[in-house]
Amino acid sequence: MASKEEVFTGAKDIINQLAVIIRTAAIHDSGNVAVTTAVDKFVVLMNPLIASEGELTLELGGEFFYINETRIRYSLEYLPNFDFLIREFKKRGLGSIVFKGIIKSVDMQTFLKVFISSVFSETPFETLSEDMAGVSSMSVGKLRKVRDEAEGEFDIRREVKKSYFNAVSYTRGVINKIKSGEKVGIKKAKRVVEGMVDLILEEEQLLLGMTAIKDYDEYTYHHSVNVSILSVALGQRLGLSKKILTELGLVALFHDIGKIEIPNEILNKPTNFTDDEWVIMKKHPFWGVRALLKLRGFDATSMRSAIVAFEHHMNYDFSGYPKTRKRFELDFYSKIISLADQYDGMTSSRVYSRIPMSPDRALSLMMERAGTQLDPILFKFFINMIGVFPVGTLVMLDTKELGLVYQSEAMFLDRPKVLVIINGKGEKAESYIVDLTEKDAGGNFLRTIVKTMDPNKYKINLAEYLL
Amino acid sequence: MELLEDIKAAKDVVNALLKAKKTFRMYPETNPMYEKMIEDAYAKFRSFFDYRDELTLKVKQNELFCDSEQVYHNLQKEDNIALFFFKDGLREITFKKGFSHKELEEFLKILTVDYDREVVDDDVVTLLWERDFQNIRYVVDESFLAEDEDYETSAVKEVKDKAPDADELSRAYADAFKEEGVKDISIVPLTDKDLHTLVKELEKDAYNKMDKLLIIIFEMLYQAESKGDHEDVVHFLNDAVEFSIRHGDLETVIRIMEMTKEVTDGPSVPDDIKKYLALVFSFLGSDAEIKLLGEFLDSGVEIEEKVFDEYIKFLDKNAIQPFITILGELKTIPARKNVINALIALGKKDIQSLAKGIYDSRWYVVRNIIYILGKIGDKKAVDYLIKTVNHSDIRVRKEVIKALGELGTSGVLQTLKECLDDPEVQIRTSTARALGSIRSAAAKSIILQRIADKDFNKNDFNEKKEFYEVLSHWKDNDVIEFLMKTLKKKAFFGRAVNDENRACAAYCFGLMGCKEALPLLYKIRDSKNKILREYAYTAIKRVEYGQ
Repeated sequence: MASKEEVFTGAKDIINQLAVIIRTAAIHDSGNVAVTTAVDKFVVLMNPLIASEGELTLELGGEFFYINETRIRYSLEYLPNFDFLIREFKKRGLGSIVFKGIIKSVDMQTFLKVFISSVFSETPFETLSEDMAGVSSMSVGKLRKVRDEAEGEFDIRREVKKSYFNAVSYTRGVINKIKSGEKVGIKKAKRVVEGMVDLILEEEQLLLGMTAIKDYDEYTYHHSVNVSILSVALGQRLGLSKKILTELGLVALFHDIGKIEIPNEILNKPTNFTDDEWVIMKKHPFWGVRALLKLRGFDATSMRSAIVAFEHHMNYDFSGYPKTRKRFELDFYSKIISLADQYDGMTSSRVYSRIPMSPDRALSLMMERAGTQLDPILFKFFINMIGVFPVGTLVMLDTKELGLVYQSEAMFLDRPKVLVIINGKGEKAESYIVDLTEKDAGGNFLRTIVKTMDPNKYKINLAEYLL
Repeated sequence: MELLEDIKAAKDVVNALLKAKKTFRMYPETNPMYEKMIEDAYAKFRSFFDYRDELTLKVKQNELFCDSEQVYHNLQKEDNIALFFFKDGLREITFKKGFSHKELEEFLKILTVDYDREVVDDDVVTLLWERDFQNIRYVVDESFLAEDEDYETSAVKEVKDKAPDADELSRAYADAFKEEGVKDISIVPLTDKDLHTLVKELEKDAYNKMDKLLIIIFEMLYQAESKGDHEDVVHFLNDAVEFSIRHGDLETVIRIMEMTKEVTDGPSVPDDIKKYLALVFSFLGSDAEIKLLGEFLDSGVEIEEKVFDEYIKFLDKNAIQPFITILGELKTIPARKNVINALIALGKKDIQSLAKGIYDSRWYVVRNIIYILGKIGDKKAVDYLIKTVNHSDIRVRKEVIKALGELGTSGVLQTLKECLDDPEVQIRTSTARALGSIRSAAAKSIILQRIADKDFNKNDFNEKKEFYEVLSHWKDNDVIEFLMKTLKKKAFFGRAVNDENRACAAYCFGLMGCKEALPLLYKIRDSKNKILREYAYTAIKRVEYGQ
């Protein structure tokens, strides 16, 4: 009999094998040996676990699979099959499969047959559910909308907001302490980042949404937290473990620590930098290394932090700064953090060109840089995470409604949720949220983004809508 | 009365946790007490789970509650388990029925970490979070993490106050109709090759980061502009050295030193920078670093001889004294052996510093230093060695005599000659052996004189035998003639002593393989004296058959 630990270690293999049999069944007849072999393998994998647990529920919640309410973690090589299965579940509105007892190969073959055909139905889940009624060892459940109800959504948004501002407040405190030469520990920093990691795992899009607001006076602290959030989110997409995500988040939080040595008159200058000022600005990677190593001495995290503080402006093709005598490979964290840093920097009003870019323009520009300044593979993950129309993008819909992208949808990158602020009649009415994945009875999308605009150009205050 | 029973069971759990918190770390995992402690606590959990499926403890500053019942109360700061949880923001902890033995063990480990130690960067909540227990749930109050409780309110107010006027929104709406349509942002999907590349990168990412950091630190050196910058670089290199030694990574230390040396040897490097970098070499040999090295050597980890030799090459003579200090503190033989080898290498650079070790209060250190001086073989060591021939410990005296013998300069002869008068037989025989290893005519002469001395006859047979054995090193006429004379010598009085001397001479001939002695040896083979007979017989066998 499988132990509890074995159930959860084997969980990722269940998803993997389920994806394999669905892929195989999609191209072969159900009697084909490739399908039957894969099905048999799945049954062999499942039955000891069902026997151990009594009943096994495989459920899709948000962007994650759960087995008996425990989230299934997986590493990068499982990603394509996990993504595939999430997509296939969503297409059918399928939320869960309950294995009520020991299954036979024939049960799974029935499931596969109805699963494949249900996608052509106008009501795929209902069709699937009806056709599975004859299989006593299995049942299916409808996809639940995660916290869509106003009450729950409000609570979780409040929690996310609280965590975000706690993190900024902590960062402000710790940077000020470092500035004044006080010794600081990282116990609290770890706790702050762990909180962010939890939220990324559970409410990724909500926390990412918090990074879209850029008008705070204390840019430095918000930028540090935003880069940390974006980096952890990207790391999560790469399948990094919670512990590694914490380290990545910590390292990201302090990536710009060298800037504490830049005089405020330069750092907060409202106009472009002079050449001399750039020379000073470009020293902050060195100063970052110095600050971090002095602060913490040598340990795994401080070493990693120092490396990233040094490298985060060097660029994938080494076209950035500082220039070094010896060529070396950029650290993996540096590549992640520099993506997050560039994105947050470009969409903010205090750095780079000093004129903030709209999120979608920033992404377009980053796409041009992918392969030169930015790691092209990581950028693919980044855009998958942030969406084609990131939170905060001002969009016009084909219904002539004007709104702000409110929440990205991981499976349909170009179909986020939009907060409409001007209705189809051109009136500024009470804002409301629309989901661009919604279709009419004929299967056509109800709304589609037709134009994007820069909210900064019209001084649209995202905070008013998103906070 | 079920309620009372389960509360009592909850109290028992808390008491078991308290007990474990105090004593769990005292026992190694292999100790039966370790397992017993877990088993006892686990039994308490099991008892509780007989009543309920979950044990939830609400955490107050000085109390723990199960439901509304207080199950723990302590107003003291010390050993207060409630405060221990509370201070890190833990407000509720729930153990589910499936809580396993293994989970309990892990939980107890978390409970008993010495969190006051500066090097511990984790608190209870972090460790619970990292461990991600299947059957422990907890509620945490994170508000203490914020430096300013009202930050959220003020920050939100600040951004919301920047609201635009309605006209801007209308303008945006009007402009939207004039804007170009959205361009297709084609997302290139992730390929298997992409994933493969990423997996490889992730694997590579697990490697040690020190090498990269070193490149950066040296880059900082090249771009340093002030004295402060140089000092920082030296400080970081020193830290890198210390970190590597602490982790037993001597190869990285070697790399750090090689990189430092490469810079200092560079033709265009200014003298002041060289001066700064020299501090890194001094640091490597400092008391603290040698002590750390000693701890590592004593840890039992096997070190490649080549690596250690390479490491020693970068040490300067300032490392001699710290090495002498730890030589007396090391617990393992391999560690001492390594340190002795290090001192042999370093001592050549500065005999005087090494020789100071002979004044150490620990006899075994003095003996080691003498051994090292002997191995170095520098004639300058003689003066220092001679000072220890009268050391109070016989083991030291024996070692120094041996070392003097190995050095073998004419200056040592007088001292060795005097040592032959030592009241201790071990010293006298050691001295004879030392003289034997010198092999000079003068040394031979001293041995011959000593054997010829009438008082020598009074010595124990074994001592005499040792002297004759030493004499066998010189296979010359003087010795052969002396031995022949001894062998032929007859005595009416003290015949037994004379026969002992003759047996020793026979023994010496045997060792020398001297064929000229055979006729005489045959003659005495049938002697009535048993010792003489036996030694003659053995000597013949040795000479004839080389046995």
